[in-house]
Amino acid sequence: MVGLVALIGVLSFVFWLTKDPTNNLEASLPGEDNREAGNLIEEIIRIGENFNLFDNEAPEMEGTWPQFRGENFDNIASEKQNLKDSWSADEPEILWSVELGEGHAGPAIYKGKVYVLDYDEETREDALRCFSFANGKEIWRRSYGVHVKRNHGMSRTVPTVTEDYVVTIGPRCHVMCVARETGDFIWGIDMVKDYGTTLPQWYTAQCPLVDGDKVILAPGGSTIMMAVDIHSGEILWERPNEMQWKMSHSSIVPMNFNGRKMYVYSADGGVCGIAADGEDEGEVLWQSNAWNHSVVAPSPVIIDGGRIFLTAGYGAGGMMIRLNPQGEKFDVEVITEYKPKDGLACEQQTPVVWDGHLFGILPKDGGANRNQLVCVHPDDVQTFVWTSGKDSRFGLGPYIIADEKMYILDDDGTLTMIKPDKNRYIQLAQKKILDGHDAWGPLAIADDRLLMRDSKTMVCLDIGE
Amino acid sequence: MNDKKEHKQAGRREFIQTGIRWTLGVSLAGVATAAALKVSADDFVWQLDPFKCVYCGRCADYCVMTPSAVKCVHAYDLCGYCDLCGGYLKPDANALSTAAENQLCPTSAIRRKFVEDPYFEYEIDEDLCFGCAKCVEGCTSFGNGSLHLQVRHDLCVNCNECSIARVCPSDAFERVPANNPYKIKGDFSVGTDESNPA
Repeated sequence: MVGLVALIGVLSFVFWLTKDPTNNLEASLPGEDNREAGNLIEEIIRIGENFNLFDNEAPEMEGTWPQFRGENFDNIASEKQNLKDSWSADEPEILWSVELGEGHAGPAIYKGKVYVLDYDEETREDALRCFSFANGKEIWRRSYGVHVKRNHGMSRTVPTVTEDYVVTIGPRCHVMCVARETGDFIWGIDMVKDYGTTLPQWYTAQCPLVDGDKVILAPGGSTIMMAVDIHSGEILWERPNEMQWKMSHSSIVPMNFNGRKMYVYSADGGVCGIAADGEDEGEVLWQSNAWNHSVVAPSPVIIDGGRIFLTAGYGAGGMMIRLNPQGEKFDVEVITEYKPKDGLACEQQTPVVWDGHLFGILPKDGGANRNQLVCVHPDDVQTFVWTSGKDSRFGLGPYIIADEKMYILDDDGTLTMIKPDKNRYIQLAQKKILDGHDAWGPLAIADDRLLMRDSKTMVCLDIGE
Repeated sequence: MNDKKEHKQAGRREFIQTGIRWTLGVSLAGVATAAALKVSADDFVWQLDPFKCVYCGRCADYCVMTPSAVKCVHAYDLCGYCDLCGGYLKPDANALSTAAENQLCPTSAIRRKFVEDPYFEYEIDEDLCFGCAKCVEGCTSFGNGSLHLQVRHDLCVNCNECSIARVCPSDAFERVPANNPYKIKGDFSVGTDESNPA
């Protein structure tokens, strides 16, 4: 009997020893998805090739919202507004609305005209459309054929407008400069073709920076940053992309610190500051790959004391860095870095600085406070001064401040007005405005009017007293 | 005499054959009736509401079945077919590829197939899925939420007291009619009637 048990034991042991439990495992290797590289046919794109003039006029108005995040890159209306503190049942009134191609492109406003880089799904064109701010009638349209497939929307940038020019970046990285009044084509650059830009996932959201007579662009590819003469399209300088970073959805932000003016860019791969003036203009003043994430949409937020707040979605979280002068250049010190559930983090929109505090909406992976508007002090971005509470959650939509009111647009087109306050969340009014979805396009305010959109429709609201 | 005997034998054979037929017929009818009664509108089975699910991972650990009867399912009409899929790839993956180190799923239960630039299709291999919900969390946090969990009723033994329901932190488990046992996301043609979600 004992011998039998011993024999069974030995046989079992041999069986166990010889059986490889990993026999049936298959290795997961790159390339099993049969990915094919890009478009097989090279598309010939003639930037600015088409123009349409419509029989409409735009009455002159005073206000401007000339670029992404407004005049001072802070998403706060710099001009005096006189806005309502509450809304009655039929307020805010929709003054006009226009249908747009599917996307998230935001408007810029300049003296009675609204500029949107739309995507026309029928003609398959990037179309810079100029509307009357007074009534929404289309004045002219400058466009060019480019094949953009629906990929969480198509359009997604905001034009930059000066007294004389409008500069745009299309979803597939085509830069176009036109005359502001007439729409006459001035110059264009194909960043993919000329600089080897890798298109970011879901197309680029980079908005052009205009600094005086210079257009500042961050192509990635062969060149991390470059300056273009706005009048002629002549390349003024190019900074080679030795760091091999890629274009992100983030936009370039100007910064002044320690007597130096610089352009700050948060790329896919790292963050850098490029000299904006002086003999070393176009040189790298500092760079760091401590902030290295594959999808970066929010722009850097400039904080006093040489600090820069960085945030991104897809699990990235947030980081505060500080520039420490080191001779002519700067060292980068990481003050704090954390995951999205551990402090202020934003996925698409850039936080707003108000009254010495940072306001932003947490992403869906933001833990118990997910999707809430939160307020933090820059000295401790991981401790919430307040949150909007579990009954006041928002989506990926934009927010903007004007006349001491903050407007928050939810994914489903619900607009919430709050009083921005560093001590607590104060909701003033809320109303469902749009019926569509993915209302993520940046907001714009001028002349007591608010422009907002969902994926298909842009409306102009009267929010003034 | 022989004729009488044969007649008797034929009658007996016919009687036995008829009896067997009736027995089989009654049995089949009984089984069919029992099956019909078992899956009647009055019976209920366990299902989880994907809109309440917080992808805690307990479906993988607490089910009495091994592996769990809870599997990931994919609502293709909700999916964005993204290259950078938050349900397939780890956050900040080194590359957008099928290499094991980039995949979020611990068992590689999601198959990724190139459709056309820039779209990729994602398919669940339910034999490999054990309901850990890592992909559901990634898809819900960073995408459209098309990947979601469901109790598969070909695997579920419909315990009187579901051991997952006991520990579900969001009370996502509920009894649903056995003739309408799934709560699939994205089937918008059915409408929003909660009693008839899919």
